Order: sequence, then C-alpha cells, then structure tokens
Amino acid sequence: MKKNKFVFSYSLILLFVLSGCSTNLKNSAESTDPFESLNRNIFAFNKSLDQNIVSPVSAAYVKTIPHTIRRNISNHLEWMDTPSTIVNSALQMDLENTILASAKFMLNGLSFGFYDFDNNETKIPKKDLGSTLAKLNVPEGPFLMVPLLGPKTVRDFTGTLLDKQSLSNVSSNSINKLSLIEIPVNLVDKRSKLAKNIENIYESPDPYTKMKSYYIQNRRKNVYGDTYLDDKNNKLDMEFEKLLQ
Amino acid sequence: MKNSYNSLNLKKVLCITLFSFLFFQFLTFQSYSDNVKNGEVIVQKMIADAKKHAVKTINLSPKERSLKIEKLIKRFINLNFMARATTGSYWKKATNTQKEKYKSALLKQIVNTIEEHLNTLATLAYKPLKSEARGKKLVYVKGIIKDHSKKIPDVNLLWKLAKDKKGNFLVLDLEIEGISLVSSHKSETMAILRKYKGDFNALLNTFTKSE
Repeated sequence: MKKNKFVFSYSLILLFVLSGCSTNLKNSAESTDPFESLNRNIFAFNKSLDQNIVSPVSAAYVKTIPHTIRRNISNHLEWMDTPSTIVNSALQMDLENTILASAKFMLNGLSFGFYDFDNNETKIPKKDLGSTLAKLNVPEGPFLMVPLLGPKTVRDFTGTLLDKQSLSNVSSNSINKLSLIEIPVNLVDKRSKLAKNIENIYESPDPYTKMKSYYIQNRRKNVYGDTYLDDKNNKLDMEFEKLLQ
Repeated sequence: MKNSYNSLNLKKVLCITLFSFLFFQFLTFQSYSDNVKNGEVIVQKMIADAKKHAVKTINLSPKERSLKIEKLIKRFINLNFMARATTGSYWKKATNTQKEKYKSALLKQIVNTIEEHLNTLATLAYKPLKSEARGKKLVYVKGIIKDHSKKIPDVNLLWKLAKDKKGNFLVLDLEIEGISLVSSHKSETMAILRKYKGDFNALLNTFTKSE
C-alpha cells in the first residue's frame, strides 16, 4: 500500500515535470521576485522570530552542549537526509553519487548516523527533489520567502514539500513522529552553524536583498555546479574587463 | 635568377614573420604567467598578513582594531573598482563627494565582514589550489580554507585580481563557495538605489544607518 503511494506520488511529480517542461522552458534561468513586498513582510516576520526565539536557543545550544555531541547530532541529521540524496541521485542518473551515498548511509547506519565512520572524507553532494526538477529543465520560478523555512524558489519549495511527503509515505509512523523532533533540532543546529553569516546579513543595508542574493547564488551552484559557475564568471569577466578599461 | 632571389626573400619574410609571431606569443605567455604568479603572491601575502593582524590586534579596542584592519585591507583591494562595480550606471551620476563617501562606507562594510571572521581565520590553514589568467587582465586564484580540527567544513575561495593603473595587483572580487561578494553587494546597492529612484544620498543614508 505504502509502495503504491510512493509510486503514485512520483508519477504525479513526473506529470508535473513534463507539463512544466512543455510550457515553461523559455522562462528558465532568471530569478524573478513578483511577490517582493509580501516576501519582505515574511522576511521581517522570520527575522523577528529568529532574533527572539531561534537565535537565543541556538546560542544556548552552542554554549551548553559540547562540540563533540553537537557534531554527532549534526551527523545524525545529515544521515536522516541521505535517503533523499540517494533517491534523487538515482533519478538524476548520477550513479557515482547514488552508490557513494548508499554506502555511506549503510555504514553510518551502524550508529544510526550519530558517528561518521568516513570522517567526512568522501564529499557527497546533497541532492533533493528541487535539484532533480532542475535537471529536468523545470524553471526555477519566482523567489519566495517562506514563513519558518526561509528563502526558496517556487521549484525548490515544491521539491521540499514533495520530498517530505514521499519520505513520510515510505517511512514508518515512529519515524514520522521522530521527524517532529528532528525539524526544530535541525533548525537550531543549522542556525548555530550559520550564526556569523546570518548576523552579517542582518547588519547589511538591505538584509532581504542580501539574503536573496546569497540564497540564489548558493542554490544555483549546488544545483548546476560548474556549468553555472563558468557561465556566471564568464559574464562577470566581461563586466570587469569593461570596467578596467 | 630573379625568381630564386624572390623566393629567398619570401622565405626570409616568412621566417621573420614566424619568428616575430612566436616571440610575441612567448612574451604574451610570459606576461600571463607573471600575472598569475603575482596574483598568487598577493593572495598568500594578504592571508599571512591578516593572520598576523588577527593575533597582534586581539587585545586592542574594537575601534583601534577596525582601523588597523582597514589599513591592511586598503593595501590589497581595488576599492575604486569595487565601488564602480557595485553601483552600475548610477556611479557616473554621483558627485565626487558622494563617490568618496560611498567608497568609505563600502570599505567599512568589507572591514566589518572580515572582522567577524578574523579570529576564526587565525586558526585555519589556507591551501592554494589553482590559478589561471582570464582574458588579458584578470587573474583567478583558487584556494581552500581547511580546519584541521574539522570543526568547520572546508571553504572554497576564488580571488579575482587585476593590475590597477599604477601596476599593482589588487583584489577585485572574492567568491566564497561560489558566492560573489561583488555580485551580492551590487544587487543590494541596486535595490536601494532603485527604491530611492537613483538618489545616491539616500543610499549613503541607508549605509550609515546600518553601521
């Protein structure tokens, strides 16, 4: 029954992908922000929530919990995300990543992911449904600031929702309940790692635009890799050469 | 007789042309490789100096520390270029006073960013990876920052450098994990300038408020 649901949801995704490909291919690449005023309001809400709740909790987390334990928690959270990388690497026909992620998942599974036996030596790029949709030429869509989740594009937000949906379809009830604890812990853990960068964004003249710019550049680099970086740098080189004249 | 004389001349001309071409190519290659080496040296020196500064200035007051770092940064970056690159077409419309104020505000932003990471930088190791000449003027220097204790994941850096009018190699942009600081700053500046319909004073006020 659960397998059927899994297959069904992936069929739906494929349908979505195909319909997206047939109509919106020309609009790809550019990131637009038609909901800017709404996004700015959500950003202000997220910022106040972060400064009043998440940031103090994350600071207390760093202060009270020793680094080794925090690293174990981080390892476990990353391990919990690995099935998504395995499935999406397979969907993207990235055999090497599929094999490496599967091997690492099984190896670290011996400690439920709390200990990284590989000691982070093997770099396995994270793959999610958003990146799979990107590989299938689904346009990025407008930029969104999602309450609690932060910056996303429409494509990546759809990917995140479907990723969570498909994983909860295949996992047991106890794992689904566990994810209710995982989400806030993940939030605090990520916040503690990005503390300096987030503070730097808040201190800038236009924090919303800065966060958007950082997110878009980082996301495109993760999704398209060297192709995106080469294109971006070629364009920047031309701009720089002109300015240097 | 005349024919053999002509062909001899033609051979000479061809040889001279070929030799000049090869010599020119060699000179160009030599200057490109010199540029790459200079770029690498500048980046290594900047990181070494920043590390020394981090240790030396640790007991100074925040204001004194900022001033020291500002001096250090000024030696290595092309501030004039960065200011022009981040303001696009609005730069030409600004007055000289506005330009100077913007440059000093931009420098403060850079100093603030570096200050936040300076203490961490002192404990990390920088490893140069690859350098290349891009076009006639630009040089890319790639490197990685490693934390041997593995508390912080590796950070990939890409420095973009070029000679200024005085012939000094200076940094134009820095990409951290593929995020270009000039591009991010430009999108921010342009958003503010668009909001205030190109009013440079409004941009300067926004910068002052955020300091």
